[in-house]
Amino acid sequence: MKMSIKIIKKGLSDRIIDAGRYGFQHLGIQPSGPMDFLSAQLANTILDNDLNHPVFELHFPAAVFEFDEAMYICICGANFVPVINEKSVALNTPIHVYPKDQLSFLQPIEGRSCYLAFKGKLDESKKWLNSFSSFQTTLNKGDHFVIHKAPEIVLSINPFKQNTIQQVQKNLFNEHEIRFIPGPAWNDLDHASIQALMHKSFTIDAKSNRMGFLFNGPAIHLAAPKDYLSSAVTMGTIQLLPNGQIIVLMADHQTIGGYANLGQIILVDLPRLAQLNNQCPFKLSITNVQTAHQLYRSIQSWFMH
Amino acid sequence: MVSLGMQSQRPTFQIQLLGDHAIVYKINTGQLKDIDPNLLAFTQFVTNEKINGIKDIILAYDTLTLVYDILHFDSNPFLFAHTILEAFNNASKNNIVSIERRSMIEIPVCYDESLGIDLENAVKALNCSIDELIQQHSEKIYTVYCLGFLPGFAYMGEVPHAIQLPRHPSPRSKVLAGSVGIAGKQTGIYPMNSPGGWQIIGRTPIKIFDPTSTSLTLFKAGDQVRFKPIDLKLFHTLNTHEDVH
Repeated sequence: MKMSIKIIKKGLSDRIIDAGRYGFQHLGIQPSGPMDFLSAQLANTILDNDLNHPVFELHFPAAVFEFDEAMYICICGANFVPVINEKSVALNTPIHVYPKDQLSFLQPIEGRSCYLAFKGKLDESKKWLNSFSSFQTTLNKGDHFVIHKAPEIVLSINPFKQNTIQQVQKNLFNEHEIRFIPGPAWNDLDHASIQALMHKSFTIDAKSNRMGFLFNGPAIHLAAPKDYLSSAVTMGTIQLLPNGQIIVLMADHQTIGGYANLGQIILVDLPRLAQLNNQCPFKLSITNVQTAHQLYRSIQSWFMH
Repeated sequence: MVSLGMQSQRPTFQIQLLGDHAIVYKINTGQLKDIDPNLLAFTQFVTNEKINGIKDIILAYDTLTLVYDILHFDSNPFLFAHTILEAFNNASKNNIVSIERRSMIEIPVCYDESLGIDLENAVKALNCSIDELIQQHSEKIYTVYCLGFLPGFAYMGEVPHAIQLPRHPSPRSKVLAGSVGIAGKQTGIYPMNSPGGWQIIGRTPIKIFDPTSTSLTLFKAGDQVRFKPIDLKLFHTLNTHEDVH
């Protein structure tokens, strides 16, 4: 049986995403995965979906959704105060919606990317190159997403899911340094810039978006001007712009970069960076690849029964 | 940083990490006039091997980057980076590395001033005639060094010194799909309508990126490209862009 989720009102910049479109970066086609993969995975875990099941990624002000059939949904990540027919609903729990229910979001309390997962299979017509991640398009009024209904089951929060929720919340919203592994241009920095990057606070600039996060903070300089040949970049690459500002590439990053590559934010800290509000100061700290891999494995173990 | 000799007389690959989920092989060739044939052969080898856990294989200038899934690899990334390189070295020693012939792609370009919207200012800045610029731009064989910026956008070089033009200080809000531009030593074609800062000297009537085709993009890194001047009439005959009627 088919049902659908319809967009009643357009948001600022909302889209459908899954884990991302890999295997095409050599053609300049970026992965366009989630800004915060932990919240996307959490929402799917709560609904007993595959971890990489497509979800909606919302930014405030977010779209208004209408459901034409009864179904389960789940909202994770940023708290934008979700309401269904003007009654507030909880994050991080399965929500049973009914035909004609409308979901909207009132105000941004914490975080910047919110994830809306649903039970049921999204129609394959929305798929391109093995991925549902939207390609340079955002949700518009009137868009509707056809979903093939999942077998009726009652979803609940068990102790396993409770633990996953707590771990993800702790990782996302507890203050912590953002860790990175130094990159090829790290040693080209002058001494003061290295000190600044290791000890000073930064905030995220208001012009930041899914392509990249610009940092506000001390100006960073190379010891001497240097040109770099362009090479591949990924989500988390820390680039130095010619004006002394740092940009960290995010989910819609270009595939190739030619600015000084100072390093790479580790995967486990990208969701926390992605959820940081503009006014929140944060610090960077250096780590290594072994630690990064251990942390990533332990995070993924939260999602495995 | 680790260096491995491929074979005594061959250039060496340096292995670097791009954070916690990509490895970079950088070839030391000194001068970069073209993509090194060893790097091209290595790229083909890794692509053909279809290694589990390798999510992307990205060739650009003097580097090959492999994006990997952490959960697929137990070992230190340097170790599996070496293992892949050793497999390639063994295969090339035994001459079982197949090298595809590099494609030579001819791109029709109309250098009419109505399409090459920066042409008039460009020739003033360069102090040459439009015909000279067209001749210089179209007689050279370019190498596609990488694709990026937009799907299918090929960075090609090198543009002859006499017609190198700087980027516009601030980008145009809309450059039309098919527009051929110059930025410094590089030339490229906009695959879709997009903002852009390159100096537009002409337009090709053909599609550079087609999301519905199996090859998706006309170019891949390592291809060789030549521009063939066409007149406005032929441009309209061959045109595939929706904005022109």
